[in-house]
Order: sequence, then structure tokens, then C-alpha cells
Amino acid sequence: MDVPETVRTALADRPVEGAVCLDAGAGVGNTTAGLLDAGARRVYTVTNDREHAEAVQERVGVAHRDRVVTVEGDLRETPLADDSVDLVAVHALFNVVPTAAFADIAAELTRVAKPGSHLVVDDYDPLPAEAAMRDLFAVENAAAELSGGESALTFYPAAMVRRCFTGEGWTFDGERTLLDPVPWTEDHVSAHADVAREAARTLPPKLADPLTAEIEATARAIGSESAGRMYSLAFRLPDEVGSG
Amino acid sequence: METRPLGETGHESTITTFGAIALNWLEQDGANQMVEAVLDAGVNHFDVAPTYGDAELKLGPKLRQHREEIFLGCKTGERDYDGARHKLERSLYRLGIDSIDLYQVHGLETQDELDTITSEGGALEAFREARDEGLVEHLGLTSHGDPDLIVDAIDRIDDLETVMFPLNPVVMARDDAEHDYEAVLERANEENIGTLVIKAFARGPWPDTDELPEEDRGYANWYQPVDRPDEIRERFEFAASQDVTSVVNPGDPKLVSMVLDAAERFEGMDESAQRSVMDAARHDDSPVPQQLHH
Repeated sequence: MDVPETVRTALADRPVEGAVCLDAGAGVGNTTAGLLDAGARRVYTVTNDREHAEAVQERVGVAHRDRVVTVEGDLRETPLADDSVDLVAVHALFNVVPTAAFADIAAELTRVAKPGSHLVVDDYDPLPAEAAMRDLFAVENAAAELSGGESALTFYPAAMVRRCFTGEGWTFDGERTLLDPVPWTEDHVSAHADVAREAARTLPPKLADPLTAEIEATARAIGSESAGRMYSLAFRLPDEVGSG
Repeated sequence: METRPLGETGHESTITTFGAIALNWLEQDGANQMVEAVLDAGVNHFDVAPTYGDAELKLGPKLRQHREEIFLGCKTGERDYDGARHKLERSLYRLGIDSIDLYQVHGLETQDELDTITSEGGALEAFREARDEGLVEHLGLTSHGDPDLIVDAIDRIDDLETVMFPLNPVVMARDDAEHDYEAVLERANEENIGTLVIKAFARGPWPDTDELPEEDRGYANWYQPVDRPDEIRERFEFAASQDVTSVVNPGDPKLVSMVLDAAERFEGMDESAQRSVMDAARHDDSPVPQQLHH
């Protein structure tokens, strides 16, 4: 399986070789594939999305039964033991994490990380005001808020994520830009339009109809767009937890 | 236009090379105009082959007029001594010139072919003899086949001075050996061999001929090219930002002026922007290496 350049770049100078890793929020398995390719001894892949868990299992898990453990579960409460992981990779997860869950997930990732372990958090900065994709994300979030009471997407700035994890006791170990600009391809645009339509469908027609029309028009107008930045933040947990 | 050393040839090639196959689809007047436009843009490296229809004949008049301004690459697909010698003489005749600056093994596809050209009575013997006679100055090789094969050719041909091979974000986003043209680039640079990039503007293979008959295609290329100015510019920036000597235009004449413009405006693309282009191309199909059916 091809490892995306973003994942490869984010992991490039991290000690993945021989490490027990946690892929937090597996997606379709790109990060797990990158960790395996970089020599991880074992990868725990935790996601709350059954389809994603199955996709990871199928794409990389089957071929690496002895190295991949796929867990369908809540990232605020994983079944992993305290201090059990050498490296935590969080690739493009937080943008789909509701604000209410962010701090709990950060605390949980810290709980399972060993002293001296590494953490990589990759995500998107908020899009610039002039980006057309913002309009699509706005209508996607509007539909999701009206439908389920939570935004579909939140773009946490690098500086905020950095402060959150240093607040959990991690030492900041560097930042790099993975993508600048971020390519939102036609596939991305149509995938986001699908999520938005899905949410709108649950609403009464009075709301659903204009929202759906807006989703269609916005997606069509965008086509594809390159905008925004994807960052990668690296952290380390101090070797010994102080006694104070 | 920016120039870069073409390996150890002593020639400084412009960052775009004019692929004169484009002349094949133009009448003589149009061909003359295109060569003038290419020279006006500052391009000093041209590439042609006897298999490009009548491109050699159409290049001839303006090539002879501007011979001193043009570093000319030509090539032959013949693998044995006699065939290569014959094709070289025919190219010189059709081009109407006394010598070719760079003569290349054209479209290497198989290990057998590599064995043939490097053996006694093989094409390279004819190349070297012609070099001794002053008919050609430098030796090169072109291929859109297996990266492994090209690397092998670099290792086996000691006096190889240039290599022409595919490189674009679609193949660079692939990790498997079949698409590892980065290995070719790396090996060529270790040997200080000039690198000429083809397929930089490939969007992907054409749809199946059942879906789109060959005569209904919008471009002459055997792959589907990118064709918007911003895409051409992005692909040029991407290709020329790799550690290569020069990037060859796509063969269709309708795309040439956009490539010249991109080359004249070349700025260099930083790594996060390169990753962005690769990421967008990650799920695209690649037309290279060409699937061979014998």
C-alpha cells in the first residue's frame, strides 16, 4: 500500500523502528501503513468508526496480523494500558473531533504513552477567509449542527494544539508544514458534500431543501481548490515524571 | 531561461527541452513558426527522432538556419549495429546536418534489448564509431519502461551521458518498484549523468478505446495530458524542482506555448507545495511504465 508523502514526512525523523505505536483515529489506514513501513513493532489502530476499522483490517491488518491490532473504540477511553505505547500518531484526526471531546482525547493519549515516548499530531490550520472550501465546510457544519447538535469539522490552529499537549506534560519537539497549499480535490469536495447531504436529509423539508440546494451549488462552484495548510507537530514526554 | 549542466557533456541545457515531435502535426510554415517561438523563449536543447512522423524533415530548415543555437538530441530504436548506423545516417540526411550533439538509444523496453545493444554488433558499437567519426558527440538513452531496467542500463553503459525517463507527481506518489523513477534520478545524479524528464504533463491514461475511440481524443499524446495553464505551470514547477536537468514538453503542439511560458516563469516549488501536488495526484492512474503486450 502506498504511504502518502504527508505521513512519510511527518514520521521521517521519529523513532518508529521497533516501536509500539498507537494510530489514533485510523482513517482508511494510511498512517498505520506508514508506521508499518517505517518499522513499527506493533501498531494499535483505534477508531470509533466501524467502516474505518474494517478498512484498516482489510488493507493492512490481514497482511500484518502479528503487527496490527485494530480496535473499534472510543479514543477518550481506549482499552490500552497506562504507559504502554512508544509513539502516538494522530494524523488528520482532530478536525473531525468535536470541541467537547478534544481535551479528553489529549488526556487519554497521554495516559497510554510511556515516559520518553513520542507524539506526532498532524492537522489543518483554519482555512484562509478567501478559500471557497470554507463555504462548503460552513454549510456542512450547519447541516451537522442542526441535525446532530455538533459540528462536523473543526480546524484547530497549530498553536492551540501545541498548547493543549504541552499542558498535558508533553515537550514540544518541532513543527513542520506538510502541505501548503492543501489540495482539496474533486473527490474531497464530493465526499464533504455527501456528509452534508446526509445530515440535511434528517431535517424537516423546510430546512433540508434550501440546505441541500446550497450544498449542491457550493460543491459545484468549487470543483477543486488548493487552499490552507496542513501542519505536523512533534512532541516528547519527559523520560521521568517528576516527583513534585 | 534558466540553464543547468547536462551531466558531463559540457552543455548547459535550458530547463525545458523542445520535443520536436510537436512539429509532426504542423504544416511547414507552422513548424517554422514554432521553432522560432521556441528559440525566442530561449530554449537551447531540442530533441527529435525518426519515428516522429516527418518531424525531422520539418525541423530541418530552421535547424540549419539556427544550428549554432541548438543542442540537438536525436535517437534510434534500432538495437543492432547495422540498423543503428543506417538510422543515424538517415536522420543526418533528413535533418540536413553534419552531426548530432546527442544520440540516444530510443525507448529501451526489455533486458534482452539491453543485452543486444551492449553486446558485440550492438547499437552502441555504431554509436561509438559514429562518435569517433564526429557524426555524434554524446551518447544517451531514453525509456519509459521499468525503472530497474533503466538503472541497470546506467550501470552497464560506462560512457552514457544522458538519460531520458518519466517523472511526475503521479508516479512519485507511488511507492512500488514499478513506479520508482526516483531511483533512476538518484542513480543518474550519482553518476553525474544529465537527466531529461518526459511525461511530466501526463494526467493519466486515455479512457478505454470502447469509451473514447482514438480518433476522438483531443490531443496527439498517447496519454491524457494536463491542459490548463495553471496545471501546466504546476506540473512544470514540480518537475523542474526535482534534481533534474531539463523537462521535455508534451508532444502535442497545442500545449507547447504554455510549457514555454511556465519555463520562462520558473520559480521553484518548495517541499510542502510539492507534497501538495503529489497528494492531489495520489489516486490517479499512471500511464507509465507502459504496459507492454507482445
